[in-house]
Amino acid sequence: MMADIVLWTGPVLPLVALLWPVLMAGLAALPAVRLRSIRLLPLAPLPALVLALTAGEAETMAPHLLLGVMLQLDESGRLLLGLTAALWLIAGLAAQTMARQPNAALFAAFWCLTLAGNLGVFLARDIATFYVSFAAVSLAAWFLVVHDRTETAQRAGLVYIVIAVLGEVCLLLGLLMSAHAADSLEIALIRMMLGGADAPALALPLLVIGFGIKAGMVPLHVWLPLAHPAAPVAASAVLSGAIVKAGLYGLMQFLPDGQGMQILVVLGAAGAFLAALWGLTQANPKAVLAYSTISQMGLMILLIGTGGAARDSVAYFAAHHGFAKGALFLLCGMMLSAATQSQRRACLVVAAVVAASVAGLPLSGGALAKSVAKSGLTDELALLLSLSSVTTTLILVWFLHRLWALPVAETAPERWRLRLLLPAVAGGLAFVAPWLLWAGWSDQALGYNLTQATLTDAIWPVLLALPIAVILLRKALPAVPPTLPPGDLLLVLPRWPFGPVSLPEASAPSQQLRAFGTVTSALVAAAEHRLIRWSLTGTILAALVLVFLAALAFGSL
Amino acid sequence: MMALFPVLLLMTSLVPAVITFFLAQESYRLRNSLSLGGAIVKVVLIVVMLFAVADGAYYETEFPLAPGLVLLLRIDALALLFISLSAILWLLTTIYAITYFGTKPNLSRFFGFFSLCVAATTGLALSGSLISFFIFFELLTLSTWPLVAHKQNEASLKAARGYLLYALPSSAALLWAIVWLESTTGPVLFTEYTDMGALDPMSQRAIFALFIFGLGMKAALVPLHGWLPTAMAAPAPVSALLHAVAVVKAGAFGIVRVVVDVFGMERVTSLGVGVPLAVLASVTILWGSVRALQQDEIKKRLAFSTVSQVSYIILGVALASPLAMIGGLAHLVHQGLMKITLFFCAGIYDERADVRRIDGLNGLGPRMPWTSVCFSLGAFGMIGLPPLAGFISKIYLGLGGLEAGAPWVLGVLAASTLLNAAYFLPLLYRLWILPAADDAKGDERTPGLVVPAVVAALAALGAGGLAASAISPLGWATLIVTGE
Repeated sequence: MMADIVLWTGPVLPLVALLWPVLMAGLAALPAVRLRSIRLLPLAPLPALVLALTAGEAETMAPHLLLGVMLQLDESGRLLLGLTAALWLIAGLAAQTMARQPNAALFAAFWCLTLAGNLGVFLARDIATFYVSFAAVSLAAWFLVVHDRTETAQRAGLVYIVIAVLGEVCLLLGLLMSAHAADSLEIALIRMMLGGADAPALALPLLVIGFGIKAGMVPLHVWLPLAHPAAPVAASAVLSGAIVKAGLYGLMQFLPDGQGMQILVVLGAAGAFLAALWGLTQANPKAVLAYSTISQMGLMILLIGTGGAARDSVAYFAAHHGFAKGALFLLCGMMLSAATQSQRRACLVVAAVVAASVAGLPLSGGALAKSVAKSGLTDELALLLSLSSVTTTLILVWFLHRLWALPVAETAPERWRLRLLLPAVAGGLAFVAPWLLWAGWSDQALGYNLTQATLTDAIWPVLLALPIAVILLRKALPAVPPTLPPGDLLLVLPRWPFGPVSLPEASAPSQQLRAFGTVTSALVAAAEHRLIRWSLTGTILAALVLVFLAALAFGSL
Repeated sequence: MMALFPVLLLMTSLVPAVITFFLAQESYRLRNSLSLGGAIVKVVLIVVMLFAVADGAYYETEFPLAPGLVLLLRIDALALLFISLSAILWLLTTIYAITYFGTKPNLSRFFGFFSLCVAATTGLALSGSLISFFIFFELLTLSTWPLVAHKQNEASLKAARGYLLYALPSSAALLWAIVWLESTTGPVLFTEYTDMGALDPMSQRAIFALFIFGLGMKAALVPLHGWLPTAMAAPAPVSALLHAVAVVKAGAFGIVRVVVDVFGMERVTSLGVGVPLAVLASVTILWGSVRALQQDEIKKRLAFSTVSQVSYIILGVALASPLAMIGGLAHLVHQGLMKITLFFCAGIYDERADVRRIDGLNGLGPRMPWTSVCFSLGAFGMIGLPPLAGFISKIYLGLGGLEAGAPWVLGVLAASTLLNAAYFLPLLYRLWILPAADDAKGDERTPGLVVPAVVAALAALGAGGLAASAISPLGWATLIVTGE
């Protein structure tokens, strides 16, 4: 009986890549390691990085784990896994400044768990593993969001956890319905079933909601502009760079092959433009970046909704955005700790270069990402994508402005210049990685990027946006100072438990809600009391005797 | 030798119980060795049997009690599922209780009834006939009473009285059901098909209802759950055992036996009693959660959570589809592991940090990391978050609900998940994120309390993480359902 136990089949590295961060999380909790636990963070994503660089097509199975773990990488998954591992590595190095903070061990443990979940989403080929990973990345990240324990962070955490749990439930229900209909836990079979005629009507919408929440899809994005800025800088970088991609990859995994989804095109486009414009109302550069993330995720959701070749290009687009956004968040932290003008200028220059890439300036990684994406789009949608570069340029210029407006630190920490290397490397990867990966993701030769048509196509939105940006910065925005708190849609729900952000007691339920709660609560308690008394007396037995007699009477009829 | 296995199992707790009653308060060492020794021997016996039963073997012992009444003890896969749970948790709870009580008074009385309670649980798990089941069921009622009353203060005496007031009418109902049924069918053996041809369907339904009433009180089905939250006045080890394996589980286990072995799943479906039972279980799941949300005392919140969670088992059985059955049976073990973890931790917070109310938990996480990690794991499991055991139960119950053509079960599961999150996550938030009060105490240098909690938490983690392996509760539940 014991002899035929096979622990796993296929390559072991995928398993190691997932279990290693979990092990690190366990280590961080040990008393001996606790004080130095932050030092573990850069180690956690290393096996996954090796895996992304060396992986083949082979499938790994661990039949005894969960409900039978199946791991495999497809092209998109591999690229996103590489992005995730590399970005978490860079962010883990950047987090080293937190080593002496209180609660560092707690942060380190949940950092590693979130990482494990984030990696698992790209590797999982069965829904149990997928759901475990997705729940880990969603819920463990809660502790990263609230880590600073400020009022803002706690409020952001509340909104975050409520929406995340709702998302988990939608996801679970969607997965259960799909698994039942497909009679399998395998994602590939479920995807096939969802494309068929007898797919359960609710399954796909529930899945889209579950993933859409994580991916920051409008209108499910409201948690994102609160949570991403509230977390410590290193955590913001992975939240905005890598974790949102888990939701994106979920959509790619479960939406039926080759099919588009009109609603995703509409919501994606809405997010791409509206979020970028709303971002102009934000004062905090991290909140501006969060809105830029929603906007960029909107573009990616649009690509998925279009289906076909556009959907296949999403991972390439996402990889560029992940590195770039990670770098920009880290730069916020660098600017906050910069003490001299030269340090601040260095920061701004790096930020400007990375921002230019996101805006899609010719020859940048962003331009390559956009040209691959456009090749799968109709002319109208391609034009829409170009137009989105205008709003992207606007919000990023605004970001640079707000970044520069951050206060000057009194003394810069040690080795500041060395640490500037981290965002520089992440930004560099955003610039370079699309060039290196071009051959695998585009039908065109590399020289296509140097043709005049491509260059013109990339430069005009930026040229169009820059004068508008100058006018906005000089005239419009100083006249109407941006005082709106992050959270947009939450602001128009004043009676909601989360309330308007500006109120200090925002996290407490509003008066009406509280009154309603008290009344309901009292009613339930009274009902409970009555139930208990009722059953204590012989009433129940008397009733049963009646039932019994009735049964006898019926029986004799 | 083989035929004696069931008797030996029973003796491992019965013998220590009898001897312990005669020990003086001061004979700590002997009393502890007896309790621990019995628990360890039992675990060893069970491990030996696990392998044999997995291969299809079963053991049986019969005692004639009176003409027509036999005490039948047998070990099948379902019995073993419940006994392994009770044996392992009994061992952990014994270790915990020895440390917890230290040199407090009336220990011989406590440990005597404690062992007797476990003997009764073992007996009812082993019972192969309805009448044997009833005998041990009543023994359980009586041996639990002194445990609930143990502190002898007003609250615990009141709780114990309430417990009896609930228990006696429901026992009467159970006896009524058994007598009514057996008067037409003859002695009911769990292994044999019960021919109910002499009873018309309405009488069969009435008997089923009486069974559910009699067993549902122990399983804390709404509206028969009132005694359970009050019983929180008992000491922590008692609560732990009561909620995880002894009383509420005995009720749930009884309902499993009645549905599966007395009536049979086909008859339950054809009589149309499965759906009402599933609805009652669903109502209990939601009601318990709503009430848990309103409690400020940790143990009370956990108690209402038990009300809710135990009905997952009943829901799974009532749906009468194979996957739901597997989910329900696996949850019998899963809930035990998770809930005992939570109660162990609640006891540690009470003993070591003087915290009984929820607001006292603020900032305790970093001060009592082992306890708090275990508590968090237990809470995550209850919400049904992967990879803990509760998530496996939920997946199977959900799939089973769809299989049984009852998609509304998904709604119940979703609502229960949200409610569980609503009453457990704030506790974790307090533990880990909120700052501690200035005068907060709290150290956990009591391995006798912490180690059992850690072991139970790891078991809950393992039951979920290794669910697909044959030795997991899920694997075992699959064997029971597909092997029968």
